[in-house]
Amino acid sequence: MTELFDRKRLGALKDTVAVVGVGETDYGADYRGAGGKAMAKGEARYDSYTLASRALKRALDDAGLKKDDIDGLCTGPTLSGERASELWGLNPRWSGSGDAAQCIIEAVMAINCGLATTVACVYGNAQRSMNTAYGGSRVTGGAITSYFYYAPWGLTSQGALYAMFFQRHKLLYGTTDEQLGAIAVAFRKHACMNPNAVMYGKPITIDDYMNAKFVAEPLRLFDYCLINDGGVAIIVRRADMARDLKQKPVYISGMGWAEENVDATQLRPRLKDFYHTAHHGVAAQVYPMAGVTPKDVDVFATYDSFSVHLLASLEGFGFCKEGEGGAWIQNGRIEIGGELPCNTSGGMLSESYMQSWNHQPELIRQLRGGLGERQVKGAEVGQYVHDVAGKCKSLIYTRGA
Amino acid sequence: MATQRPIRSMDPYAEQFWTYTQKKEFRLQQCSECNKFRWPPGPSCDNCLSDQFQWTPMKGRGKVLSWTTFHRAYFPEYPAPHTSIALELDEGPLFVSYPVDIDVKSLREGMVLSLRWTDGEDKFGAYNLPVFGPAT
Repeated sequence: MTELFDRKRLGALKDTVAVVGVGETDYGADYRGAGGKAMAKGEARYDSYTLASRALKRALDDAGLKKDDIDGLCTGPTLSGERASELWGLNPRWSGSGDAAQCIIEAVMAINCGLATTVACVYGNAQRSMNTAYGGSRVTGGAITSYFYYAPWGLTSQGALYAMFFQRHKLLYGTTDEQLGAIAVAFRKHACMNPNAVMYGKPITIDDYMNAKFVAEPLRLFDYCLINDGGVAIIVRRADMARDLKQKPVYISGMGWAEENVDATQLRPRLKDFYHTAHHGVAAQVYPMAGVTPKDVDVFATYDSFSVHLLASLEGFGFCKEGEGGAWIQNGRIEIGGELPCNTSGGMLSESYMQSWNHQPELIRQLRGGLGERQVKGAEVGQYVHDVAGKCKSLIYTRGA
Repeated sequence: MATQRPIRSMDPYAEQFWTYTQKKEFRLQQCSECNKFRWPPGPSCDNCLSDQFQWTPMKGRGKVLSWTTFHRAYFPEYPAPHTSIALELDEGPLFVSYPVDIDVKSLREGMVLSLRWTDGEDKFGAYNLPVFGPAT
């Protein structure tokens, strides 16, 4: 097997591209609606493009750039790149698509290839308005995945699969439900410092967590992400063109990618490996590229459609030993002010379920500084870990001078 | 009339798996060249890419790896609570099913369970569903 980290090629991309602008929609206000009351599911008021357009405009304003400065476009999976380009009056030189980490990695590659200089990565999802289902008979999709392959036996939803993951963790390591609860409580605490969060003003205690109903046991209500509407845009630009803009640049200093798909429908990588092979593969790239170790990470974010993602990431990326995550996350360690503040906006559990997209603006803001009580003091290195059922990527951002 | 269940993911290979269940035969594809078992059914071996295979009968025994109990009903055919289990079959593949004739509270990691059959039907027709109960 070849060395995972190619120092000459991947290493050369360190700090070659910067994030220069971020924009998001008003998650909390949109969720609560005009009358201060949550809108009913299925009550369509706009579509995914409406939200994406709003986020894009805000990201351009944040960067101090104009629409015509964009020459590359990456769109999230809920948008058609063709329609988005048309809607925004863009004829990009280059385009891509995927989750947030994938789009940013693709953009770094395209910019380094000379195919683009300034790429807008844009996402919008009116999933609450459109009453999108993530389990049951309304789940749609073409590929064979365990997500719906086991429907005849009554198994459905990514949540149930992560419930099996956590049950296995409990069986092997003795991890407890109360230990897992520290994640939902911490992220909610962070959301209560973030006025844009859907769950702003709604703190929960560990007792609230334990008393909440099970969805797929052993996962409870607060282990599950929100279903809400929103849009996110991230403008990335060639580093030498990023230095004199409105915001201090935040550099993309590390990237890594590894997937663990063999026997995925059988749940083998999930239950026999906790996806750690993919985590180790990504860690072997992202840290040496950025020239840091987990100890240097000041602020951390992980994909969190379910709380248990954080346990998996912390163990897999070496923040703690395998099996010890449950004990490691206690006593405020993952909270702002603790050793490794995680998902400081409230994440997908408590800020907004933007399927990886809302984590990026939060890390960028933390590295720019000035977030008030939510600010991680002295934050210089931020890491995002994206692990969706073993399709793992990571980004390390560092604060520019 | 057989028990209605959520629709199966169907393709030419899955169809063969389910046809065997009509005779209560639990068979998985096995590569004819490197002998690797595979699940779910598919056109080629993920180990050697050979498209030659046979349908090998499984012993119908597996060890419990994990489980989850639904407290929310996602399918009308499966009112809550109901439980799903993941097993490691003696032959190697992992297999997801549900437990029968056993209290969920008595499930343990590594516990051996054995194959049972129950009926099922969807728009593709009638079949038997492999489920697992206390070791026989």
